[in-house]
Amino acid sequence: MAAVSETDVQFWMAKALSWGQATSCSTLLDTSRHLDYLKSFLQQVLLGLQQMSSTSEAMKTFPFVGQFLGRLCWNPCVIADERSQRLLLRCLSCLYSAEPLDAVERKANTWVKNMLCHLISEEDGSVSHATVKHAGSSPKRYHSEALQKVVSLMTEEVIKSCEGLPKTSARCSNENIHTMSTACVALVTCPQMAPLIGALLKHSMLCGSSCLNQEFIKEVSKALISKRLVLEDEAVVTLWCLSPTCLEGAAVSLLESVLSDHESMTQSLDKHVNDSLLPQASADYCHIFLTVNEIYRNVLTEIDENLALRALVQVFTACFLQRVTGQKPQDRLPLRAFFPNVTPRLLSPLLTAPSEVPREAWLDHLSWIRSLLQSVTENEEAGGDVRAYETVFEAWFLLVQCGYWVDTAVELLVLAVPENAEPLLWLLTFFHHPTNRGHQRSQQTAVAKEAWTHLRILFLSRPPPPSHLGAVKELLSSSLSTNLALHLFSNFAIFSHGPVSIITEITDKVLTEAAVKRRALWILASIRCRLNSAASRDDRVHSRLRTLQDTLLQT
Amino acid sequence: MEAVLRQLQNILELLTVSQTDRVREWDQHTLQRAFQWAEYCEQLHSRFQSNPTVRSALEAGLRDTNQRLQDALPAHSPVMFSDLAQCQHKLLVHLLTNPYSPNSVVQILFPNPKTAEQEFQFDQSSFITCKSAFNLLCCSFERTSQPGLRVEAEVRGKLLRELLNSLLTRPGNDEYARTVLDCILRDSAGKPGCIYDVIAAALLSGDDDTDAVTQRFILAWIHERDGCVSELCRSLSPGVCAVLSRQSPEFKRAYWGVLKQWASCLQYDVMGSVWVPTSDGPVTFNVLADRLNHLLISGAPLKEDTETELNALKLGDGDFSVKGISVWTDLIIQLKIGS
Repeated sequence: MAAVSETDVQFWMAKALSWGQATSCSTLLDTSRHLDYLKSFLQQVLLGLQQMSSTSEAMKTFPFVGQFLGRLCWNPCVIADERSQRLLLRCLSCLYSAEPLDAVERKANTWVKNMLCHLISEEDGSVSHATVKHAGSSPKRYHSEALQKVVSLMTEEVIKSCEGLPKTSARCSNENIHTMSTACVALVTCPQMAPLIGALLKHSMLCGSSCLNQEFIKEVSKALISKRLVLEDEAVVTLWCLSPTCLEGAAVSLLESVLSDHESMTQSLDKHVNDSLLPQASADYCHIFLTVNEIYRNVLTEIDENLALRALVQVFTACFLQRVTGQKPQDRLPLRAFFPNVTPRLLSPLLTAPSEVPREAWLDHLSWIRSLLQSVTENEEAGGDVRAYETVFEAWFLLVQCGYWVDTAVELLVLAVPENAEPLLWLLTFFHHPTNRGHQRSQQTAVAKEAWTHLRILFLSRPPPPSHLGAVKELLSSSLSTNLALHLFSNFAIFSHGPVSIITEITDKVLTEAAVKRRALWILASIRCRLNSAASRDDRVHSRLRTLQDTLLQT
Repeated sequence: MEAVLRQLQNILELLTVSQTDRVREWDQHTLQRAFQWAEYCEQLHSRFQSNPTVRSALEAGLRDTNQRLQDALPAHSPVMFSDLAQCQHKLLVHLLTNPYSPNSVVQILFPNPKTAEQEFQFDQSSFITCKSAFNLLCCSFERTSQPGLRVEAEVRGKLLRELLNSLLTRPGNDEYARTVLDCILRDSAGKPGCIYDVIAAALLSGDDDTDAVTQRFILAWIHERDGCVSELCRSLSPGVCAVLSRQSPEFKRAYWGVLKQWASCLQYDVMGSVWVPTSDGPVTFNVLADRLNHLLISGAPLKEDTETELNALKLGDGDFSVKGISVWTDLIIQLKIGS
């Protein structure tokens, strides 16, 4: 049993004593600063108390506990914080005995009840007691309304101070803001606090200097990430600008939710990405885009084969670009600012979405992209130095970001004639195998061509010839080319003509491993997002996509 | 109505019993029912609070039941109509302070996730959070705009104002509203000064003309109570009094009455060449001067009014320019007012 250490006890007893009723600014500051640690300590105390068999034993083992908890019950900062209140109350409940056996336990029972009474009542004869008693409503409702009023007064004050008119005679100095934010540290998860929190964040943005308590920013970002606080979109973005940690947390949080591979993720990836507010914030603030990008790029270098991650990068970029297009021209930064590391001539062809290019021009556009990328890779092979390698990586990363063009290429491959297939296959190969490790590019291109050939025959002939079924199945299970083969396969299933039933028939025969089927869902996710932003909806294609998805989801 | 009155009787009995040792017999079910009835009473109060006819019928019923219970159980403390608004809270407090109350009382306050579905819970945690959040924010907010009124008083004043508004917009509630104010004053006797801040805030928080009724009502109530005006003016800060005087001619008149009364308690000490308060004089010369100064610095039209009044008072006392004869002359000199 982990007993509570004596030094800790002494430290916290002294703190509780010095905090008293936490009414002065400095005490408030100190309490807020220690709140997190206090919660850990209370957790330890609670664990200790829970292991006691009786209150008498508890009082003997933890003689400080009565005085300590009692003092904390008078501290509004400690009580107002949701978690420390809960810990405190649970400690109190541990000290209550259902069947008190001696005077100590009986006394403890009375004491616990008194503490509870104190927590819910006002001091007799005080103004608060009188006004609450004759308020014509329950104390709960009174305090809820009182809280709302004080929050709105404070919010008003903060907003006014942002306007910075000289005639308001500096009514809200930076110190005031700092004190307010300190008070809010304990209250971050209280739903009525949202307007004040938003106003404080906005003030900090507008007034340049960060006069907000750092604990406050930390607590707000923690609460936001764990969804214990709901803020207006603007406030969230402000928080990201104020706290890089918070922004990184949000980007990682989105990444984690995608990688945990929930079914709902693949079905509405664009909605999830947009709901995270990251695309909008990235369009409004270049540094946000760069930060998020950096994080995803770093992860991609570790797990570049991960289709979920690729889908996320692709959809995030697509949503971001949509937002940028929606901005007023005078607010728009040149795209160069968002993609500083990439060869500039790659930007225009890749960042123009397929939905903005007429269908007839797709093949030419893709050939253009291919030739640009090819020249980059050839430079690398020629030079062979690190710099050239980086250029290729950045170009490849941009292609991953603008994966909608690769998807377009693969869609075209479904119905392409052999003369036109070459650039499309090259792009597909480069996408899945960017490096020419061991000069494998020619081999990989050959595999791509082989896969394409087999799939064409498979989806065009009826019934599907068994030899081709077998070949495709093998390609889909060999780890060297699975992703590429899956990519081709999914597009063939969705975009080929022929009866819908054939999708299920073929899929069942060639895709047998559950893990591979799950990966295919991610390819579907990005296809779906691209189709969602197309100019017109093709019902035939959507129904085929749905069929393929249903087939893949069947275990 | 019959059924309602019977329910009221029941709940009153329940509240009384909750303070006796008979609560030992209460089980979970009784407890739950008691709280449900208490909640019903709260709804009753909320519905009929501003309806004088129904309210007086209910009050009559309460009087009868109170009498009956008093006769039967000396422990009974009378329950007023206004108490019904906080019935559940009262019940809980009774149970917590009663040494005989069953263990389940304490358990209903601690939400236990394991038994949450079957058992009755009366979770107070969001209430406790609101209450301490309010206290915390009031401590941390230094409001410099409102002259001398702390934000806590301001909020309580606003809420009081809203209550009075809701009562006074319907006819027949004057007496009841007066009782509310009387009770608030009585029950804050432990800290008399601060309640006046709340009342001042209530006066200041009306924004448009529809509130004029409530404004007049509060001022009338202040006047009716012996010594209230001077108590109020004494505990409110000079700045707040100045703002109130600006806002309300009635208050300004009352304030002047008090100031004159205070001035009359000052006499000139020839030896020390100062005005000193008599034995029952509430304020010193300087305090009086400070209060007048606040009226002067609050700008037009109050500044001009104050000057006019001071000059008139000086005239009334004989229009002396020499110090030591009329307190008003000396005040004018101190405040550097031109005539």
